[in-house]
Amino acid sequence: MKSSATDCLLKLYDEQHGLEDYQSGVPRWCTGCGDNAILAAVQRLCRDEGLRPEKTVFVSGIGCSSRFPHYMKTYGFHGIHGRALPVAEGIKMVRPDLTVFVNTGDGDCCSIGAAHWIHAIRYNMNLTVFLHDNQIYGLTKKQASPTSPIGTKSNTTPRGSYLDALNPLTITLGVANASFVAQAVDWIPESLFDIVKAAYHHQGLSFVRILQRCPEWLPKSLDPWMQDPDRIQLLHHENALHLSPGLAKVYKNHLVHDPMDMNRAREISGHEDIIPVGILYQNREIPRYEETRQTGVLRTTETVRKGFEAELDKYSV
Amino acid sequence: MDADLQTHIAFYLTGKRASSHLLAVDGLKLRPALFSNYRDLTRLRYDFPLVLVSDRPDGGFVESLSGLIDAILDKIARGDDGERIRKHVLRLEQEIRTRVAKGDRGLLSALWDQAAPVLGKDDKLIADSLSRARANLKIDGDVVDCDASMPYHLLSHAWAITQTQRARKFGKDINRLVLKLSDIIKADFVNSDAGKSAENLRASFGTGPMDSFNFEAMSRILIKSTPKKNLSESRRQRVQNLLSVLQNQKFFPTTTAQAEAPYSFAFDTCSDALKAYRERLPKAIELAKAIAMAELEIKGEYSEAKHDALFESFGENGLDAGELALLPDYLVRLNYGKLTGAEQSQLNEILAVDLPIKILVQTDDVIEESPLGHGHLAFALRSRQLASMTIGINAVFVLQSPASSLYQLRTQIQSGLDYSGPALFSVFSGAASTTGGLSPYLIGAAALESRVFPAFTFDPSAGRDWASRFSLAKNPQAELDWPRCGFAYEDASNQAVSEQIPFTLIDFVACDSRYSKHFACVPRTHWNAILTPVGETVAQEGRGQLDSVPCLMMVDPDNRLQKVIVDEKLIREARRCRSMWNSLQELGGIHNSHAEKLLASEKKAWEDAAQHIAPPATVAPTAAAATPATATPAEQEAERSPDEAYIETARCSTCNECTQINNKMFAYDGNKQAYIADVSAGTYAQLVEAAENCQVSIIHPGKPRNPNEAGLEELLKRAEVFL
Repeated sequence: MKSSATDCLLKLYDEQHGLEDYQSGVPRWCTGCGDNAILAAVQRLCRDEGLRPEKTVFVSGIGCSSRFPHYMKTYGFHGIHGRALPVAEGIKMVRPDLTVFVNTGDGDCCSIGAAHWIHAIRYNMNLTVFLHDNQIYGLTKKQASPTSPIGTKSNTTPRGSYLDALNPLTITLGVANASFVAQAVDWIPESLFDIVKAAYHHQGLSFVRILQRCPEWLPKSLDPWMQDPDRIQLLHHENALHLSPGLAKVYKNHLVHDPMDMNRAREISGHEDIIPVGILYQNREIPRYEETRQTGVLRTTETVRKGFEAELDKYSV
Repeated sequence: MDADLQTHIAFYLTGKRASSHLLAVDGLKLRPALFSNYRDLTRLRYDFPLVLVSDRPDGGFVESLSGLIDAILDKIARGDDGERIRKHVLRLEQEIRTRVAKGDRGLLSALWDQAAPVLGKDDKLIADSLSRARANLKIDGDVVDCDASMPYHLLSHAWAITQTQRARKFGKDINRLVLKLSDIIKADFVNSDAGKSAENLRASFGTGPMDSFNFEAMSRILIKSTPKKNLSESRRQRVQNLLSVLQNQKFFPTTTAQAEAPYSFAFDTCSDALKAYRERLPKAIELAKAIAMAELEIKGEYSEAKHDALFESFGENGLDAGELALLPDYLVRLNYGKLTGAEQSQLNEILAVDLPIKILVQTDDVIEESPLGHGHLAFALRSRQLASMTIGINAVFVLQSPASSLYQLRTQIQSGLDYSGPALFSVFSGAASTTGGLSPYLIGAAALESRVFPAFTFDPSAGRDWASRFSLAKNPQAELDWPRCGFAYEDASNQAVSEQIPFTLIDFVACDSRYSKHFACVPRTHWNAILTPVGETVAQEGRGQLDSVPCLMMVDPDNRLQKVIVDEKLIREARRCRSMWNSLQELGGIHNSHAEKLLASEKKAWEDAAQHIAPPATVAPTAAAATPATATPAEQEAERSPDEAYIETARCSTCNECTQINNKMFAYDGNKQAYIADVSAGTYAQLVEAAENCQVSIIHPGKPRNPNEAGLEELLKRAEVFL
């Protein structure tokens, strides 16, 4: 329907929310934990975009980061380990009018939930997924996760981990129908917010890996990148993020990257010495599963009854 | 002076045939030379007849017969017998075209089925070709030819399809709203004591082991244990009212509508359309209001405190374009020749006040005599002024075209029907009774070629400037005053002659028997050099020296070339017609005088400047030129004093380190990023500690405020790295 004067008038009556309207309780995360920065960025997004709390859902699995829904005064679902994505997909399927965010950790998403992760990318439903990657199981007090760098000493790998870390970006970029892949770091709040915002606006599954510090169990792990701004490479492009003068002044390593260039995105995301920050890949043309499955038929009591009966008739003898 | 020249000039100036050698053209059945090839249109493949189609995936409403036949041939005319099939199917196309030209009408499939057996009766191969083509005829619809009724049928059909599509969308929206509103009422019932009664629970169980359940006990538990939160009476009333309005609306036929027939929106007079619009406006407002309220209700966002007052005054200023776009548009079909004064003023009212009404104004005669009489000519003025005047209103979609070009303008017609405000379709049918047997298609095409009735569109939704809104694209050779066409003939000594001749207003007028007195045929024996092509005379400004007489080339029924001289009155009309066309050209960006003046002055300025520019010096790039732009001083942040304590707030990552140390000294701003709220709320030691703990090193402790604080010397040393 076209926007009419009535629509404009009604918008005037819309409730305006402040940041505090999205805050719920005091986070139990450790002081210095990168989750705090992500929470601040997401609450700012909700305020700036005027998201209605009753129309917004945060779904998580298990882990430190998965406590996220508790701290948002919206609907939330603190789910079971590795199953945040299927729950979120179910919500989106039956309630496409809701804005659905997913918060998942490196253990939750890349280990026990890896199968769901792959298929969620392929379904490309309109979800915004934040992978809080602190490279360690923090809630259970330091076990190596799939993204722990090789040699990480932990309770499960006392002599150091033996395997190379899994790269969530290259994996996501290798799955059919990937439509939005970005990387952020928790210690550059301006770029974190820009990426979170771009991910929210993307129509399709936006996958944002956020590298975050764990001050308790891996306090020095990301120091080399945090203390040397030249090892952060800010990606920008006329069709993606633009750099502010302030940010460009502090972080001088910039790269113009076209987010439609998949091959280059894979190449950039494979870098280890330098952390690329920005949108690696975005394709707005990929269809969304929930839309391709829409029949346009209204779910009246009659239709539902007929559907049930048709299904049950298959088993009648 | 030569006697012939005298006679001819006398005719040119007075329109009187003073000598017997000049023949009246009445009865000679002459037609413009450029029409010599178009005696039998049924033998030609062109846009007509048209097929009015429905339910096309691309939303189209019309196809040309030849286009449909081509599509079929693309599929089946392949392989060894491809050529044979092509020949036979094209013969069928010609047969259908001939039948339609004779007045046969009906569905394409019916006409096909009548024509095909006649052609294939004695020839099995023809029958085979046609049956294979028939199997591939997937599109059907009424066939119309270019005649007086075609614009009426074509536009009514296109409008009806547009309204059907709108009704489909509207029905979908209404069904959704009705279902969701009904769900609110239903959910409330289920939650009420009556809904939880044993009878209702039993009834909802269906069939099965009823005895295994104690519905009374279940009812008691449910009534006692579930929270009571029923709909307020005012909300129930409101939802029921909305349901009633939505289900009883008569603007579109929907599945939820009650038995009453929907309104009709097609009219043949402006007054009827306006009357209906006025009468239905309260209902339209009620419906638009119900839709807006229902959307809020089903989202649970309707707040009586906020919205009641708003909806009470809903529609006091009528409905805006967005709201009207939900409802059907009105269609009014008029014939300009039959318009009364009252109807004209109603028409102007519709166009001026932005009503959602689409108007077809058909003109059958564009060269009628001026009402002043006495031979005053006012060719095409009355019919053309309607479209030109309407463009001046600026908010009306305007399309002007002869009927012969409507197929070419089908996309523009659709744009007009989709336009959210009023649209005017001014169409010249070409079906006048004074054209000596020339078909309406030919007359329409001639009106377009001769600039008597140019085709143009003005679409206010296409942009804000003339370049976006106005288009002359469908006029032949629009950059010229008159289109020039090739004409080939044999002269008296049987030598082939070929020349380019312009098609002017005079060619068009020559087709009309009412104006034959302005023409005089010159017998072949009197042909001489003083007979100058009409185009040359029209191109001159003013009368000039009278040493030649304008002459038009025409052909008689035996296709013999004749030369016809023309009087000055028609020459003046032709010049006026050209001038009107030139104005349209300017609006359409062709030879625009403002642009040309500007271009000339810019060109001159550029040439002057070019003369004064010194040759470029070959200087090596300086070091300063290589400095990156990022280092401009404007972007440098103001340096802060190292004595001052501050935080680079924009870089704060909300890690809580500083606020944990002293939440009075350090606080979060609106974006949850830290700043120093009160530097005197804590010690210098806390400032230094916070700077050391900050993981992104953005806290600068500055210099201590209290010179007596303990351990200052050591603290200042620790703070040095953060200054």
